[in-house]
Amino acid sequence: MKHSRLLKSVALVLLGVLFAGHALAAPSIAPEESALRQKFIRTLLSTGAQQQALLGELADSGSKLVRDLLTSWTRGEIYLYQDPVTSTTVPLLLEDQQDANGKARGIRIDNGLYLTDASGKELRFTSDDLNTADTDMRLRSTIQQAFDMLSLADPDVDARQNAVIKLGYSQKLQYLPILQARLTKETNAGVKRALYEGIALLQLSTSDSSVRIGATQKLANLGSIGSLDTLRQLAANKTTDPAVARAATNAVEAIERHITWVNFFGTLFHSLSLGSILLVVALGLAITFGLMGIINMAHGEMIAVGAYTTYLVENIFGDGITLSPFGYSFTLPGLHASGWFYQSYFIFAIPLSFLTAALTGLALERSVIRFLYRRPLESLLATWGVSLILQQLFRRIFGANNVQVNSPTWLLGHFAVNDILFGYNRIFVIVFAVVIVFGTWLLLTKTPLGLFIRAVMQNRDMAACMGVRTNRVNMLTFAFGSGLAGLAGAFLSQIGNVGPSLGQSYIVDSFMTVVVGGVGNLAGTVYSALGIGTADETLQQLLGSPVMGKIIVLCAIILFLQWKPGGLFAARSRNLDN
Amino acid sequence: MRRTPTNFETWGVTVVAVLILIVLPGLNAFTPADSFLHVSDFSIGLYGKYLCYAVLAISVDLLWGYTGLLSLGQALFFSLGGYMMGMYLMRMIGDLGQYHQPIPDFLVFLGWSSLPPFWKPFSSFPFALMMIFLLPGLLSLVFGFLAFRSRIRGVYFSILTQALTYAAAILFFRNDLLLGGNNGFTDFKFILGYDLRNPATSRALYLATGLLLLGTYLLCRWLTTTKFGKIQRAIRDSENRVLFSGYATSSFKLFVFVLSSLIAALAGALFVPQVGIINPSEMWPDKSLEAVVWVAVGGRGTLVGPVIGAVAVNWLKSWATRAYPDLRLFFLGALFILVVLILPGGLVSLPARIHGWWKHFRRPPEPAPAGAKSAAQPSTLNTQLPP
Repeated sequence: MKHSRLLKSVALVLLGVLFAGHALAAPSIAPEESALRQKFIRTLLSTGAQQQALLGELADSGSKLVRDLLTSWTRGEIYLYQDPVTSTTVPLLLEDQQDANGKARGIRIDNGLYLTDASGKELRFTSDDLNTADTDMRLRSTIQQAFDMLSLADPDVDARQNAVIKLGYSQKLQYLPILQARLTKETNAGVKRALYEGIALLQLSTSDSSVRIGATQKLANLGSIGSLDTLRQLAANKTTDPAVARAATNAVEAIERHITWVNFFGTLFHSLSLGSILLVVALGLAITFGLMGIINMAHGEMIAVGAYTTYLVENIFGDGITLSPFGYSFTLPGLHASGWFYQSYFIFAIPLSFLTAALTGLALERSVIRFLYRRPLESLLATWGVSLILQQLFRRIFGANNVQVNSPTWLLGHFAVNDILFGYNRIFVIVFAVVIVFGTWLLLTKTPLGLFIRAVMQNRDMAACMGVRTNRVNMLTFAFGSGLAGLAGAFLSQIGNVGPSLGQSYIVDSFMTVVVGGVGNLAGTVYSALGIGTADETLQQLLGSPVMGKIIVLCAIILFLQWKPGGLFAARSRNLDN
Repeated sequence: MRRTPTNFETWGVTVVAVLILIVLPGLNAFTPADSFLHVSDFSIGLYGKYLCYAVLAISVDLLWGYTGLLSLGQALFFSLGGYMMGMYLMRMIGDLGQYHQPIPDFLVFLGWSSLPPFWKPFSSFPFALMMIFLLPGLLSLVFGFLAFRSRIRGVYFSILTQALTYAAAILFFRNDLLLGGNNGFTDFKFILGYDLRNPATSRALYLATGLLLLGTYLLCRWLTTTKFGKIQRAIRDSENRVLFSGYATSSFKLFVFVLSSLIAALAGALFVPQVGIINPSEMWPDKSLEAVVWVAVGGRGTLVGPVIGAVAVNWLKSWATRAYPDLRLFFLGALFILVVLILPGGLVSLPARIHGWWKHFRRPPEPAPAGAKSAAQPSTLNTQLPP
């Protein structure tokens, strides 16, 4: 009941919009739409074979208007009004809005205008005043078929493809001619492919063995993963013609080979993206731990700082946010942006995340870490204290629960190439990682600051003797490493929820990545991140359990360090303590 | 450097041992409940827990303070000992569980009708006791052998031990390990036939923990004063020199690593019946870090320090949890930072520090002689730094 009202109002709004749009300009509506409306009325008032044919024509239009009108028809919401003067039948819809007597204005289907009498006065009816345009069982099933065809003709490619797939899997032979008819009109390659698949699937249910064998070959050629179950059943079924069963078995094998390839490339892609995530997370640590020798246990919290910054930026672009840390409440006003401007919030969030995390890192370096450059193990304890404080601070400001960051639409969704799905956010992180690594490389090797950073990290005392302001370089390096963590946070906020302990889940992984890569070597971090990502993802695929995969990876890392204790790219040095 | 315990330390430890082993349990057992001298059963349970932590802290200190190996996986051995004891205690529940089955409740919940084979021998206490030594001992032996053989040291050792405990924790969180998964073991009823809810049993467990602490202290005190202890400290201060003097440093380190894992495991085994629960969160990397912090706060490179640190930090933690639940982590975090920055020698170095300051204040014009100054400084810092 509720749905019916909803649908009805949708239809009415649609008609109303058309009405409003044209009332000012001219009483007529766009010619092709007018034609559709007229055709619908003809369908409504005709009977038998003629009605069926007209319905088919309507369905071919793929128009939303036709769909809405057909829906109203099956729900019995279309009324027939006998014009007393011309004695013609005028089909109409009743407006939702009723007056005091329970009467509503009628909207003519032929032109979307309110129904008036000869003097131009709007007529009002209750639903009992009029006859509904009735439908019987047969008509309803024809209309249902028309709905399917309407979806096949939908202007939206995805919707069309979904409709084809739905019909293909229905295994109802009556759809075969519909799909075949559609194939002649279809122009989009993706939908055509789906149509071939759907037709072949339906042909599996025919009685003609040669058609069925042809269909299995077709499915095998298409690499149709969805038809695997149907083909297996066909092959296993004792009553099928042996030749068909054989063909089906061959097709199953071919499709399974196809699946292996799809999985292989899918895993490869996932590995690459997981490795990129690890890389983005670990790169900051490669700077602070690898280059500076500071065991920054608060690195995870720097990630969280970046993620929360993204959260704030998203809210500022949206409706604003009220925070109440320590009993003081303050509100950040929102821009109430919408559309592409709102979607672009992430572009602004990325540099801001870098900046906030870098500033936090700067404060941390100045207040705690600068006293600990000669005591690396103790930097671990102090920064853990910092990590506890920051976590609690997040809880006080943003609440103990995770917060949700809405991803911009351009990071959602995916596209498929030959059944391999490429998620936009995964592609984004790969590009993101490449850009960050490239930027870091540029900074470290092509700028004066980079030169100083490398000098200070190689030998702090010697660099100081040569006049490098080591204090300043330390500060900037640490801030840069923290800023990179902030960038990682900005991205992580897009693939999961943001919570006070967000960083904790990545800290062990990122330390392992840096150690395996070889401390003090950025290229090593890149290789080890990709390597660990691949191993992790592959094991997850093989074992079907993320936890066991992770445990095996950790054990493998411990064993790997037996072989290369300094990591992949150990720094060469004559210093014994290195 | 204080190589041998001073008279003062001996006297102090004796007094505290008498207090812990005789006075507190005596006050719990023999004074009426309304007397102001009375120590409640709850307090005895709480102190028992603190003493377990103190033993764990000594095991961390033996590694870190005396050998220079900062292990971030000590809580793993602690919980493994706890799990072995927990398995025995689970078997002792018998059919008194929620489901009234002869097997532990969580196994019934997972659809088991009979006991998995590896659970069976745990009905025997001697077997469980053996496993308390065997499992953590073997794990530390294998891991230590691999790590020391390839000369993994300094921060890499720390990170690797952290990875180990992390891997173990996520493994123990799994239900199909058949060790209780997320919830671990709880609802214990009996130990060696005695009811765990009986105050006398808690008192006995408390006493056992006190004795373990005393024993551990004496063992470590003896060990660190022997020649072995000297080599141990030499490894901490400059491993390469020891290596080139002809000592197989990795064997020394391996021995200390295994010994401290066994101490931690015993502490864990006594921890579980007193606290009444063991679950994988006990081996989460945080817990190991906490133990390291107790040692840092108390003062590493001493044997009294870890005990003081473990008790002080845990007391502060439970006080802050009660008084300022929201600010608890701020207190703890600030404490860690301040100790590392201002008091690297920990609480035990406080008297010497104050003494030093006082002397400095008394004689401002004269520069203090170099020897006197270094005596006032905590002398046990690990100042090795990878450049």
